[in-house]
Amino acid sequence: MSEERKEVEVPEELEFAKEYIEKSYLMKPNRIVIEIKPEKIREFLTQLSKTLEDRGKKFYLSTIAGTDLIDKNVIQLDYHLIILPPGQGIVVRTYLPRDNPRIDSILDLIPGAFSGECETYDLLGIVFEGNKYLKRGFFVPIDITEKNIFPLRKDSGV
Amino acid sequence: MTVSKIVEIPIVAEIPVGPQHPAIHEPIMLKIYVEGEEVVKVEINTGYNHRGIEKLCEKNSFYKDIFIVSRVCGICNTVHGDCYVRAVEQILDIDPPRRAKYLRTLAMELERIHSHMIINAIMAEIIGYDTLFMLIMRDREMVMKAKEILTGGRVLADYMMVGGVRRDIDEVKRDKILSILDKIEPRVKYYMKLFEEDVTIEKRLRGIGRIKPDEVLKFSLVGPTARGSSIKTDARVEDKYDAYDEVPFNVIVRDEGDSWARMMVRWEETIESINMSRYILNHLPKDGNPVPDERRLPRRFPPGESFTRAEAPRGELTYYIKSDGKPNPYRVKIRTPSFNNIINSGFVYLGHTLADVPVILTSFDPCISCMERVIVIDLKNQTKKIVPFKYISLGRV
Repeated sequence: MSEERKEVEVPEELEFAKEYIEKSYLMKPNRIVIEIKPEKIREFLTQLSKTLEDRGKKFYLSTIAGTDLIDKNVIQLDYHLIILPPGQGIVVRTYLPRDNPRIDSILDLIPGAFSGECETYDLLGIVFEGNKYLKRGFFVPIDITEKNIFPLRKDSGV
Repeated sequence: MTVSKIVEIPIVAEIPVGPQHPAIHEPIMLKIYVEGEEVVKVEINTGYNHRGIEKLCEKNSFYKDIFIVSRVCGICNTVHGDCYVRAVEQILDIDPPRRAKYLRTLAMELERIHSHMIINAIMAEIIGYDTLFMLIMRDREMVMKAKEILTGGRVLADYMMVGGVRRDIDEVKRDKILSILDKIEPRVKYYMKLFEEDVTIEKRLRGIGRIKPDEVLKFSLVGPTARGSSIKTDARVEDKYDAYDEVPFNVIVRDEGDSWARMMVRWEETIESINMSRYILNHLPKDGNPVPDERRLPRRFPPGESFTRAEAPRGELTYYIKSDGKPNPYRVKIRTPSFNNIINSGFVYLGHTLADVPVILTSFDPCISCMERVIVIDLKNQTKKIVPFKYISLGRV
């Protein structure tokens, strides 16, 4: 069963990225999801902070959420951003191949990504290139890590 | 006599604080590197108490998960329940009656009062003010009683249900809670005055662990930590969930950015919460039964996803839930406020003395069980057991 998605226009603040935003739709309740390619994440975040700064606004990274979509053979990676004011939630979504999930780290742009990147690596095995703090056992106990299992993968058997 | 050995004393010494941190009795380890008394580097080690709750949620049904997520954290369990339940309601397109929303808000605000009181009590304890600790804890007990009258549970409430709450209150209970609120208010005001005026508290907290507003956003710090550094962010205002669109309250913001400001934000929020609870009790809508019939709740979950935020006592709590049409959720991603506030805040300790480390850590209101979620899972037998941490350290697991 496929889910219904309500397509929306790209909001005016994100117009700068119009050419590489592939899809934009709403996630309940009222979060704008934009899908972009993994290699564009860093460019998007840099441009976003510049654009917002010009308007006297700011944003912070609320969380990074990875989901293993085993049917499509991809891992969905969401960056949940909150724009202040007024606290609008934006989800930057990208898909990585399941067999070799790699993406550039955003740790130098947003140091707050540290907790999210380390957790996502430990639980799902997404390698954030450039983040030298990635380690197994950040959360996952040693009996799981030594078998080289990522517990939140759907085929992990945990 | 010739010199045969040279003993070099390293300039930087490594001091482990934890894994059982002396102040909050929870398993986290801060590896502190000090030069003399000055902290030069901090490593935050986690993983001592990971319970695998996100995985557990995937293996249980949507309804059972309400009870699992309530056990992520003992202190802020109704907020977890509320945030999860709202995410499920979004997927199911259910809108609970206003009365249920008011009651949910009341439970969460009572929780905020006792949570803010306990962390201020702990702060008093670690700066050596044990009597104040005892006094605040004594008065906190009254709030616990109020929460028990409302939800039936002193600590773990399990109050939230999809489509409403688990029990309603009548006039008698309402008056009881109102009279408790009347008793707490002068006490909280007294403690707030104490934190404002006491010389010892001021010396230990003022100027310690100062965070600039820019750093708050860069390092994704949330809740009273952000508001203590003049960042006006509050999920209650931004998302207007439950009854927060109707209940009036002020967002408390302070400019100082130090540990003292964070504690004062909490005291002022406690007063706001007392006023909010009073408003809710005096304006409870009567638009229907807030307790849904459990047997009539939907059993089919449409595919979809939702991302809800709630302002927990420690800051912004988020739930991402994905459903693929089956009875169990496909993915539940929980991001608790302590996860950001504790892991990302290593930079704040730098330049302070070793004695300030517990003060700074406590000023973030850490909740380690919130942050880590471990059960040991035996892959061969597919059995799960909970073991004491010492067995893990001894390699017996």
